[in-house]
Amino acid sequence: MFATKRKSITILLGLMLMSLWLAACGNNNNKAEPSTSGSTASQPASASASASAPATERKLTDGLGHEVTIPANPQRIIASYLEDYLVALGVKPVAQWTVANGIQDYLQGTLKGIPTIPYDLPFEAVMSFQPDLLIIGPNSTVEGGKYEQYAKIAPTFVLGDDTVNDWRKALLKIGEVLNKSDEAQKVLDAYEQKAADAKAKIQAALPNQSVAAIWLVQNSFFVVSDKQSSGDVLYNDLGFKVPAVVKEISAKGTGNWNPISLEKLADLDADHLILINSDKGTGSAALNDPIWKTIKAVKNGHVYEYPSSSSWLYYGPVASSQMIDNVLNDIVKK
Amino acid sequence: MSAYPMSPEALRKRKRTVFVLTALAVAIVLTFIVSMNTGLIRLSPADLLRTLSGGGTERQNLILFDFRLSRIVISVLIGMGLAISGAVLQALSRNALADSGIIGINSGAGLVILLFVAFYPTATAAPAYLLPLLAWIGGGFAALLVFTMSYRRHKGLSPNRLLLNGVAVNAGISAVTIVLSLRINPEQYQFVLTWMAGSIWGSNWSLVAALLPFILVLIPFVFYKARTINVLGLGIELATGLGARVSREQIVLLAAAVGLASSCVAVSGNIGFVGLIAPHLARRLVGQRYQALLPAAALAGALLVLAADTFARWLLQPTEIPTGIVVAVIGAPYFLYLLFRTKK
Repeated sequence: MFATKRKSITILLGLMLMSLWLAACGNNNNKAEPSTSGSTASQPASASASASAPATERKLTDGLGHEVTIPANPQRIIASYLEDYLVALGVKPVAQWTVANGIQDYLQGTLKGIPTIPYDLPFEAVMSFQPDLLIIGPNSTVEGGKYEQYAKIAPTFVLGDDTVNDWRKALLKIGEVLNKSDEAQKVLDAYEQKAADAKAKIQAALPNQSVAAIWLVQNSFFVVSDKQSSGDVLYNDLGFKVPAVVKEISAKGTGNWNPISLEKLADLDADHLILINSDKGTGSAALNDPIWKTIKAVKNGHVYEYPSSSSWLYYGPVASSQMIDNVLNDIVKK
Repeated sequence: MSAYPMSPEALRKRKRTVFVLTALAVAIVLTFIVSMNTGLIRLSPADLLRTLSGGGTERQNLILFDFRLSRIVISVLIGMGLAISGAVLQALSRNALADSGIIGINSGAGLVILLFVAFYPTATAAPAYLLPLLAWIGGGFAALLVFTMSYRRHKGLSPNRLLLNGVAVNAGISAVTIVLSLRINPEQYQFVLTWMAGSIWGSNWSLVAALLPFILVLIPFVFYKARTINVLGLGIELATGLGARVSREQIVLLAAAVGLASSCVAVSGNIGFVGLIAPHLARRLVGQRYQALLPAAALAGALLVLAADTFARWLLQPTEIPTGIVVAVIGAPYFLYLLFRTKK
């Protein structure tokens, strides 16, 4: 009898908790849906430039083989983690990438005030911005049948892994999607010119010098690959020499940034060291390690530190251009 | 059973079972309604009714039918599947702490997904049904491994070995998974991580279609076997004495449990603890008889996952927490509580 009573109490409690929670949900779940008329005022005008040429709807094939109908004049674009390209092309998205409250600080000069959208693009979050065009980078974002769901919200163009890993390709592709191929080509030409000028300056001031970019985060070091991300800028665009250690690790690693032990770092014979420090707020204890102090560039005082909010951890035309500025201002001028 | 006249005691038990099942069903319906209403975009109850009866705008239809309802249906199916799978595994191992996550089925499925993501040339997006299929292969393989290690000729499946080997296989698979995950690039890792955390958010009707056959075939089958499970629960010797073909029944039921767990895990990612908690809750509510325990467990599991998913969508809007994490937050303390109680 006692057991039965206790059981009934358990059920009762469960039901009570349930109803309490139901009530709680009822009060504050929903966020008001932005009405179309209300948001036109704050709506970023993106395509005023192309107003001169009468635009029409176009059909393009995306990186995954979908045929996508691009609206004549997309006004409300979401291109999460591809904002760099939009900024370069002078287009403002309706929402910008965020992960755990982190945003792309280096773009905020242009993107300031644009609301954020979680990096994994939940359907209803996407829908709440009423986009008229979605541009998506890597394949994995739309895997598992998600493409079909996004495509119901707005035309969805996936760049695909091959394109998204090469910012030049991605820039031209996004230019094509936004009917701004000429602008994209201009941006690219301007960048190549800037890189060539910088390379000439570097060869004059610091001939045959090597450099490495190291990222310190949570007491672990990562080194940039010699062909990707900021490594592409340093070695291919600016012509710095690749240190042997960087070559070795890039050959084995798969990521843009590959882990490197402190012991391995001690062998790094780079003349200059670019340090992206994500541990600044927590004391960067790793930099006080005696081994760190034996690294050639550290001994010679050729370390250039940048915060994690700088463009070094990203890539794209704007990020790469900012990296060149950093190199010219901090390393070459010295 | 009903052919026999009922004792007052049995009658009371039956009444109680009916009451519990009804209460659980009502709670599911209520949560279902709340869940339809939960989301970033506001749908008033009036909008909801209008949309349900076919009069919604295109936008409301999309939100309700494509985004929310598919997810709700998946939650209910997964909850049922994992709960029944857990109930069967607990009966077979005669251990209240067994469930598909603990004996390695979930991590086996996860490993295959990881292998696929790491090595599949990503020129085209994988079709929706491919991940469930792969997870099923992985889960089945892990179960086969555990099973062959626990099977002794003439003695059948040893309950204790089943659990211990399961834990060992689970640890081994997890280790391989970690080693492999160091070799893939960050985007791929992110994808695998989200999948392993147990997220229902990407669900759509094609996933429902992929999962439904398993649920529709295997759950009624397990219900049909309820009396056999009761007998198996008495222990191998006694069950043999009562005339059950123990080894055969064990294998068939184990296969059913693996089928249910892998197909659920395939769709939802690694949602743990449901298979553990739901049968327990059911046992406390309606007692040991599997004829009553199985339906109660299925309903409790459905309620748990549906409530957890609704909560996951609501808590940190607009970001969605993986449902598996919410279930684990509820499940872990309950698990510890069970361990504590068993010790006493």
